[in-house]
Amino acid sequence: MKKTMIAMACWALLPLAAQEIKLPPNLEKLADKAHEVVDVTMDGALLQLAARFLSDKDPDEARIKKLVSGLKGIYVKSFEFENRGEYQESDLEPLRAQLKAPGWSRIVGVRSKRSGENAEVYLRSDNGGITGLAVIAAEPKELTIVQIIGPLQPEDLRDLGGHFGIPRVDVGRKNGKEE
Amino acid sequence: MNEPMDDLERQLVDALQRKEPSAGFEQRVLTAASRNVANRNKLPTWFGMPRLRWAAALAMPLVLIVAVEIRREAAERAAGEAAKARLQLALKITGEKLRKIQDQVNAGQDQ
Repeated sequence: MKKTMIAMACWALLPLAAQEIKLPPNLEKLADKAHEVVDVTMDGALLQLAARFLSDKDPDEARIKKLVSGLKGIYVKSFEFENRGEYQESDLEPLRAQLKAPGWSRIVGVRSKRSGENAEVYLRSDNGGITGLAVIAAEPKELTIVQIIGPLQPEDLRDLGGHFGIPRVDVGRKNGKEE
Repeated sequence: MNEPMDDLERQLVDALQRKEPSAGFEQRVLTAASRNVANRNKLPTWFGMPRLRWAAALAMPLVLIVAVEIRREAAERAAGEAAKARLQLALKITGEKLRKIQDQVNAGQDQ
């Protein structure tokens, strides 16, 4: 009986776990080479705690509060390197492989041969709604991976344009773009 | 000259002459002294009052509970403010990256 209960609980939690993109170990190791590392890991409980301290009176904070109210997690990992070539494009492949899972779709892909910058934006959709956002921004001396898990409204992202530095996002774009 | 002096001398001798106390004097003195001691013990000192002693005993845990609650709230506030700062940092980085991507997309469209 106990085993059945545990199995049922695991089964219930499976969709939540499946939503989260795991940072591959090879990327975690980049922290040793990086000159600067920013690691922000916020699960649902921490997000709700932060939301309690966002003011309802301040319009910017009120919008952020509304945005994070239903989120299950925000994960940001940013590496800044002293020199070019500290990481390889292939280091990102395990991450991209996870973003090929059902539900995820790449809405923007930018590749600049001139500056060597590559950027991709992925959205996870479920039952017609957005349930996740992932960003991979790879620059010669900087690598940033962002993951937002939970229900997101396209208008939330648009409304937040400029607030806390979030720009307007054209969520309708489907194809990658190469400079 | 000697007569007034004799008179004064007699008065002094009379005044200073030892007189035996009246009967029961010692008992009366002891009774009065013990009464004074009992009255002094009855004086209301702050913690000598039973009601105040109870009030202090009841207030002590209340003060402790309030102190613990204030401390808990302060810790929660600090954790909340730290979480808010982390959220702002995460959204700032996300925003910067998204803005850059959009600029690149727009630049590509313009070309």
